[in-house]
Amino acid sequence: MDTREKVIQELDKRYNRLVGTSATNLCTHCGWCIESCHIFKATGNPEHSPVAKAEKVRRVLKRKHDWLSRLFPKWTGAKDLTESDLDEWIEAAFKNCTLCERCVINCPMGVETPQILATARGVLTAMGKSPEILNQLTDAAIAREENMEMMEGFFRKQIANLEKQVQERMNDSNARIPVSEEADILYVPLSGAHTMVPAALIFNAAKANWTMSLFEASNYGVFVADIPKAKKVVERVLKEAKKVKAKTLVVTECGHAYGVLKWEAPKWFGKQFDFEVKSLLEVMNDYIQEGKIVLDPSKNSEPVTYHDPCNIGRKGGIFEEPRNVIQASSKEYKEMTPSKVENFCCGGGSGMVACSEWTEDRLLYGTVKVEQIKKTNAKKVVTACDNCLHQIKELGEKNNLNISVSNVSEHLANALVFS
Amino acid sequence: MDSQSFMHFVEYELQAIAITWMVVMYTIKAVQLSRLPMPWEKEKPKGSGAKGILRSYGSIFMPWSVESSRKHMGRWIGFSLYHVGCLVAIVNTFTYTFTPGMMTPTVKIVFSALIAPAIFIGFIKFYNRLSRPELRHISTPDDYFSLLSLQLFFFTGIMALLLDTVFWRSSYYIITAAFLFYVPFSKISHYIYFFFARFLTGKRYGWRGIIPQK
Repeated sequence: MDTREKVIQELDKRYNRLVGTSATNLCTHCGWCIESCHIFKATGNPEHSPVAKAEKVRRVLKRKHDWLSRLFPKWTGAKDLTESDLDEWIEAAFKNCTLCERCVINCPMGVETPQILATARGVLTAMGKSPEILNQLTDAAIAREENMEMMEGFFRKQIANLEKQVQERMNDSNARIPVSEEADILYVPLSGAHTMVPAALIFNAAKANWTMSLFEASNYGVFVADIPKAKKVVERVLKEAKKVKAKTLVVTECGHAYGVLKWEAPKWFGKQFDFEVKSLLEVMNDYIQEGKIVLDPSKNSEPVTYHDPCNIGRKGGIFEEPRNVIQASSKEYKEMTPSKVENFCCGGGSGMVACSEWTEDRLLYGTVKVEQIKKTNAKKVVTACDNCLHQIKELGEKNNLNISVSNVSEHLANALVFS
Repeated sequence: MDSQSFMHFVEYELQAIAITWMVVMYTIKAVQLSRLPMPWEKEKPKGSGAKGILRSYGSIFMPWSVESSRKHMGRWIGFSLYHVGCLVAIVNTFTYTFTPGMMTPTVKIVFSALIAPAIFIGFIKFYNRLSRPELRHISTPDDYFSLLSLQLFFFTGIMALLLDTVFWRSSYYIITAAFLFYVPFSKISHYIYFFFARFLTGKRYGWRGIIPQK
């Protein structure tokens, strides 16, 4: 089977109703989406408009699925796939699109450009052409479960050290970070302590019945659209949730991990899970509303703004909870413009942060975000996604923004009053 | 064939054949799309799928709610007038034939006045497509042809309304029929896909509590 046949076969596997609708004559090439894209706004390159990126894939799909394109491809811009097209797909789908969906909400027709480009990502992965680092990180997550006997002892030792930090900060020797024990809440962190310590402080302060997962929430399989591997990464957590008899699975502040565990994984497995999936943002908000934690906003005295991660906000539906948490734990809150469903991507999403070869481009793609931050006059940017956190920190340094950056739980933990 | 028989043919038989053709083509397309697998949401809803669908369809009429319309209100007004022109030109093909009594001189002028701005906007669209690099980059022959053929449709429609000669009337109906034959294959069929796309996007966004925004 030659490359072209294999690509077509892989495209067919992924050709569903969403892709099929957006890949035919729905797009009128009106160009309304163009200015909605942070990447086009940063570069002004016609190749970087959402429609131009989608078109690179759509013209191949049209050649197969659109009647007129089958007969007169040049008339509709359709074409047969060539090897060089795949290189263009890598640029369009991985490097020049963060799948933020801002173009979708600005399209008068409802064209799902990110669905088309995510399809291209899946095909490129199947062809062995997706960024190697993203595949390696996916495989590493799967290997972690396979080598758990070796990893667990080391992980528990690290957690024991973090537990001491929590006890010191709370001045409470009973504060704990239970790991993979029976509990109502299974908290799934990332591999960094910044997603473990603040959460542990909050859970202990709220006297929650919780436990920490042995596994990290991140799932690079979704960035390369390798659903079988992404499912394996999720399965580790599902098994653990069953083992600890969790009623709620709480996902740390990680945009794509929340999107995967809350919305995508149930579709992959074809069912709703036996437990509720919540973001740590929602849990923190619940604790504040229920009076389970006491806060001193004066501990966060600098003006603070919030960056909506695309996977949490526009793709995940969480807008008010982080704002409630930040406002309850800060003296001065400043809203970014635009925000919520219209917020701009920081430029670091969908695996861009991990791909070091594209660092320069990524920082350029954050130009709009830099301007947004400047306009708030905030001294601190709080966000709820590790990729955004990393990107905004780098943007701040590169552009001398003189800001600090933290996740929401760190910000909240800083304002906690321990009784 | 005398001119009366010819006019009858282009107004009735030809239109009937063309409409039947279009309906059959759209039905095939709709069935094909419906047969594709659809990854529906499985997690319990955070919002309402129904409200999301309504908001999704309604957003086109609420320019203040979408940045791409809000920031370019002139473009949105042009878009609206263009589609009003399309609608009136289509409606006219029926009213002209089936309700001639309704087509008083005043109605004809009103119809013409509603179609005329679409011609003007069509020229602006054409100019933009040629002059803006980001639009030129994505434009295909079908884009230009569709735009120009619609201009012709509007123009003959107005001429038929205002002059009402056999030439303009038959031109209008022949172009309408040609249009109906071509539309299912061209980008003009976007209005059919629109209903599918807006339903799917609206349902997902509504289900997840993303739209409508509070």
